[in-house]
Amino acid sequence: MIHFISKRLKHSLVLLFMASLVCFTLVVSAPGNVAVLIAELRGAVATPGYVEQVEEEIGLNKPLLMRYVDWLGDAVRGDFGISYRTGQDVSADLANRMLVTGTLIAGSAVIATLISLALGFLGAFWPYRLPDRVSRGLALLGASTPTFFVGALMIYAFSVTFQLLPSFGFDGPKSWILPWLTIAVLPAAVLSRVVRVGLEEAMVSPFVLTAKSKGLGRTAILFREALPNITPIFINALGTQVGLMTATAIIVEPLFAWQGVGDYFLAGVRFRDFMVVQACLLIFLTFFIVVNLIVDLAVLLTDPRIRRQWS
Amino acid sequence: MHDEPLLNVSNLTVNLLTAKSALRPVDDVSYSVRQGECLAIVGESGSGKTVMNFAPLGLMPTGVTTMLSGSVKLEGRELIGLPEAEIQKLRGKSVGFIFQDPMSALNPVRRIGRQIAEMAELHLDMTPSAAEARALELVKLVGISDPMARLRQYPHELSGGLRQRIVIAIALAGEPKLLIADEPTTALDVTVQAQILRLLKDVQRRLNMAMVLITHDMGVVAGAADNIVVMYAARAAECGPVDKVLVSPRHPYTRGLINAIPRREDPIGSEFRGLPGIPPTLGAPIKGCALQPRCELAVPACGNSRPPLVRSDDSAVLVACPVVNQGKAAA
Amino acid sequence: MNMLNPILARLNKMPRAALITIGLFFALGTFAPWLAPQDPSTQNLLEAGLGPSAAHWLGTDHLGRDTFSRLIIAANTSLVSVGSVLGAAMTIGILLGTIAGYHRGWVDDLLMRVVDVGLSVPSLIISLAVIGIVGPGYWTMVLALALAWWPMSGRISRAVAVSIMSKPHIEALRVLGASPWRIYFGHLLPGTIGSVMVYATADAGTAALAVATLSFLGLGIQPPTPEWGQMLVDALPYLESDPRQVLLPGLALTAAVIGFNTLGESIALNRIPKPLTRRMLAIRRAEVASWSKENSDA
Repeated sequence: MIHFISKRLKHSLVLLFMASLVCFTLVVSAPGNVAVLIAELRGAVATPGYVEQVEEEIGLNKPLLMRYVDWLGDAVRGDFGISYRTGQDVSADLANRMLVTGTLIAGSAVIATLISLALGFLGAFWPYRLPDRVSRGLALLGASTPTFFVGALMIYAFSVTFQLLPSFGFDGPKSWILPWLTIAVLPAAVLSRVVRVGLEEAMVSPFVLTAKSKGLGRTAILFREALPNITPIFINALGTQVGLMTATAIIVEPLFAWQGVGDYFLAGVRFRDFMVVQACLLIFLTFFIVVNLIVDLAVLLTDPRIRRQWS
Repeated sequence: MHDEPLLNVSNLTVNLLTAKSALRPVDDVSYSVRQGECLAIVGESGSGKTVMNFAPLGLMPTGVTTMLSGSVKLEGRELIGLPEAEIQKLRGKSVGFIFQDPMSALNPVRRIGRQIAEMAELHLDMTPSAAEARALELVKLVGISDPMARLRQYPHELSGGLRQRIVIAIALAGEPKLLIADEPTTALDVTVQAQILRLLKDVQRRLNMAMVLITHDMGVVAGAADNIVVMYAARAAECGPVDKVLVSPRHPYTRGLINAIPRREDPIGSEFRGLPGIPPTLGAPIKGCALQPRCELAVPACGNSRPPLVRSDDSAVLVACPVVNQGKAAA
Repeated sequence: MNMLNPILARLNKMPRAALITIGLFFALGTFAPWLAPQDPSTQNLLEAGLGPSAAHWLGTDHLGRDTFSRLIIAANTSLVSVGSVLGAAMTIGILLGTIAGYHRGWVDDLLMRVVDVGLSVPSLIISLAVIGIVGPGYWTMVLALALAWWPMSGRISRAVAVSIMSKPHIEALRVLGASPWRIYFGHLLPGTIGSVMVYATADAGTAALAVATLSFLGLGIQPPTPEWGQMLVDALPYLESDPRQVLLPGLALTAAVIGFNTLGESIALNRIPKPLTRRMLAIRRAEVASWSKENSDA
């Protein structure tokens, strides 16, 4: 157990190192002279003198390795430099935005889990019957509707037509519902299939015949026998979906005028604000790595077979 | 009352309907088991012996539709036509099941203790703590060392033999009157097979249960059973008391099976005496005797009609062979 | 004609509705310039935001452009972009995948590690990062999406390549001293391309979604070229007064994606036995009934 955790932590650290390399290289390899770009972005005429001054300022004239070490040292301490566009401290901008995006992802993950379990069980309880077909149809629809279209439909239905919920802003739970639902649709659809197919596969395994021979009913078998068997699979899939939510946050945050990391990243991409892109990318990659770590540890807790391999 | 068999199967026919085909793995078979008795059902794989015992109790894999006809009476109660909810109540309570492969028969992610204890909660109305105590008792009964620790373990942490003991403990937990054991020793190591068989025989006698032992191993039959039904291609070929049928087999198929057991006096390296040919695949019922193509006694008339089970010169033994039964009336 | 039979047999097993949707998408996408009744870019502010009429079957947008024509031309935009993205991604993926499968060893390890990382990061984030560095534009979008998309085809083609390489006839060729080039171009590459293409088509729905998403964010297809995602975002400010302009492109895109997703699902085989349909059950029952007749005759 301890062995597994330490090994897994080391693996995560290696991945983090690789992620930092990727983020650093991306910006270094950007076409054109960054200093010229910055000079122009600041509205100044890019005279050679001014460009040199900018180069000096952001340390572009140092050797690459030194630049990486400097940058990494700052990043580890939570200093992501200054936005080229606004001149503001990126870390200060990010602190509050991470809270916003965290709220978005956490709420959606809970909603997606609940909906997918309900739909998946519905389908598994009446396989190939009407409830299963409905659940399957909803899953196909949910997995195929573009997230931005889902968001537009949500706004149209709940804000414009029924005027129940605010269509934008981040103030209070009422304003969180629509963004949560919008992001939750896709993962709920995908996860409901994971639950449905996983349960069906568990229900044809030999131990279910044993359970039947014990006199257990279908409901008891589904919950007591099949559910524990799909838990590790579900946690794994949920981890992937939570990772994907960072991507949908990029679409949904601007739609609902939320000032989150996704919105920040998108603005960074739009205005080619490399420091912002780099910082957000590093945060996203760190998030994936941490989520994966948590998933692996959770699977370890829920699957005695894997636990044994490492004890 | 004493004469009434615990399980009385008469003229049972099972049809299985799947997406690919329809087949009849059990065709007009009758047998019965009394309390405290052990009946062996013997046949090659695919002869329908497992389906015959599992289908009337609703234990069939998904994707298969079962059609039953005939009569299956358990303690005088007719099972055929009984709704699934009623049959579910009988499973585990009146009938305990033991499966062929203990490696896959237990849920890999649940503790052994829970898997046994839930039986006591379900069928004996016990509280969870009382059920735990009962599970401990059962684990001791099936002869497992360090029972407390075992209850907390998961199936993959135990050997095949131990797992089969757990499966037996589960089957016994509801205090059933009938035990159906489907090839209980086939998937085990040879050294463990004898132990498991002894254990089964022992608990059956001690708890005075009836047992149906499904097997293809004549050695198992000789050691454990009182009566025997020999199945071939969905039909009963011969049935009677074990000591009579094994000592003087009458049906050519039974003779072939017994003949195939290697003997001590066989010279080393001598040829294996198997029955030539292969059994027919199950599908539509065969018109005449199913064994005809493989039978040494076969005459053309064997293919005309299905041979009925006929009482032989020993009144306890019934044989379905037109050549052996020549001149005798149907039983 | 004989070569077509297996393909036709396969198509027969696929859901009809999905095939029709995809067929429609391809037909519209290919012949859009001839099908569109009006020029999709002609603005007429006097006719802005109108409902359906004889002149404009599905009404007009906020600049008075004909929505029906724009929807049709958008199918063409989408089809061409998805084609280029998948084409570029498959070229990279197949090339690297087959090299990994041919070479094995450290090349394989390295490439597959890269593929793993690529697959674990959402494609939108990869492509946005690329666009952020290179700057927006049509070809940047294709490049960005291809960079996000190749790991999938890379993994599949590597798996196919490994299985081809382990076949006896390749082993025999090697023993006979065939040059690596001949094995690679004559056997490995052609064998891999076919199977990767099948999976890639199943992925076309997600690729169409990605193109639309980037366009929705203003970083993909640039105006005035009509594209569903971009049409939707253009109409979004007028959601309250004219929801039709948001719904129509959204529905068109959703329909196309559903078609591809259904197709993809039917390609992935389900090996769990399903219960019999009522019709099958009746057939089987009749079959069983005929047996007992034969028996009573005997």
